[in-house]
Amino acid sequence: MSELTEERALVRPISRKLRLDLLTQRIVLVAVFVGIWWLSSLSVPHYILPGPARVWEALQLIVRNGDLWSNLGITFWRVAIGFVFAALVGLPFGIVLGANKRAGDFFEPVIPVLNTVSSAIWAIFAIIWFGISNATTIFVVFMTAMPLIITNVWQGTRTVNADFIELARVLRMPDWKVMTKIYLPTILPYFFSGARLAFGFGWRVSLVAETIGSSSGVGYRLRQAADLIRTDQVFAWTLTLVIMMATIEMGMLRPLENYLFRWKKDAEAQ
Amino acid sequence: MDGLTQETSTAVERASFAIRLDGISKSFANAGEPLEVLKNINLTVAEQAIVGLLGASGSGKSTLLNIISGIVKPDRGQVCLCGAASDEFNDWCAIGYMFQDDRLLPWRTAIRNVEFALEAGSLPKTERIQRAHETLKLVDLGRFEEAFPYQLSGGMRSRVALARSLVTQPRILLMDEPFSRLDAQTRTLMHAELLRIHELKRMTVVFVTHDVAEAVVLADRVAVMSPRPGTIREVVEIALTRPRDVTQPEVTSYIQRLLALI
Repeated sequence: MSELTEERALVRPISRKLRLDLLTQRIVLVAVFVGIWWLSSLSVPHYILPGPARVWEALQLIVRNGDLWSNLGITFWRVAIGFVFAALVGLPFGIVLGANKRAGDFFEPVIPVLNTVSSAIWAIFAIIWFGISNATTIFVVFMTAMPLIITNVWQGTRTVNADFIELARVLRMPDWKVMTKIYLPTILPYFFSGARLAFGFGWRVSLVAETIGSSSGVGYRLRQAADLIRTDQVFAWTLTLVIMMATIEMGMLRPLENYLFRWKKDAEAQ
Repeated sequence: MDGLTQETSTAVERASFAIRLDGISKSFANAGEPLEVLKNINLTVAEQAIVGLLGASGSGKSTLLNIISGIVKPDRGQVCLCGAASDEFNDWCAIGYMFQDDRLLPWRTAIRNVEFALEAGSLPKTERIQRAHETLKLVDLGRFEEAFPYQLSGGMRSRVALARSLVTQPRILLMDEPFSRLDAQTRTLMHAELLRIHELKRMTVVFVTHDVAEAVVLADRVAVMSPRPGTIREVVEIALTRPRDVTQPEVTSYIQRLLALI
């Protein structure tokens, strides 16, 4: 009867020690990186490789004049809209394709084909169709994220345990409850990892879309800075993006995932 | 064979019955050919009785259980439940079902797994949780309400599954080789547990098994089934007081008798 408590006692301290170790390693890694950056910048002109101090100044400038938040905000908004649309389309389609073998077999080639189309091509199509507007970036994010979500949800739907469906049948559960109580919880981990992937990809391709099809946003500012040979600003924008993505990923998505899927044995052991 | 089932059914007709099977037959399509799984099954189970369906694999005992539960429809014959005159499904005659495996949803805690059985109905959440809580206490797992299935041992998971099949307060509990995947020691414990709960709740129990000792230890009556097509060969009354133990000579002689029948 004491198995439960014993197991917990074993797992927790080990993982805490590991986490501390990991943190130290990460700090050392960043320090080494900044060091190498600084050393390399000493021997080349600042418009080729600006040093950390110069980038820091550029960063402070865009923070002070409000450029950072407004552009980060607009880019984030476009990514979010494209991503939400992708999830709204991807989730039901993935479920239908996974639950209905015939539909799945029929549409199977579509996803790899969609995945092979480069985001740059979507961006060019988007400019032809939507011109310089928000819709261009949103479309590119949507077209990149949607196949990723469909693929994952599809895969998740196929793992739904037939025994659990039988259990629900014995309990005379109506179909919609089987959907929300058996299908959804089974699919959720797959949807979540697909969504995480899609969100990351969405960010990256949104910049591509913004550099060619927008007059605002981080991507647009990046190109502008490059055109003006303000390499320090290019670095500053890049840095903010990296920091933001890392914060979202490690500060929000991973803890959320750990909490949602705490019933998984291997997740606990990590 | 027919004479014996007839005799037992007239004996219980005076009292109300929990389950009455009249001429149940069932075939499944097997590679184009119909395969007769059950043939003319007649069986009456008295209220509060514990009846074992004993047979080798292929004798259709699990199919018979599924027919009683209503998930499989028979080709011929009818299933009458809780004294009803026809085979209509009765809301008030709740049936609990326990599978061969514990079949717990891994993403739900123990109490939420028990609650699951009530979620088909329209009880409010607080009421469901309250009942799940009480039923988990009944199976002696009150301390493990918030544990996830992976944190529980095989025996504890089996108790959660038992609680889930009892939480609807069934008048009939159907069990499909429920403890066959447990080790011998835990299985013996679960047998005692089931009998203790039966003393308290007095629900009718029909269980499927291929384990002769299990049948003798648990059942008031054992229906021995013969395979292909599945028929009831004989119904044996186990006229022994409980608790029963496989080491008792009376139990052993019943085991011998049933083994000869299979």
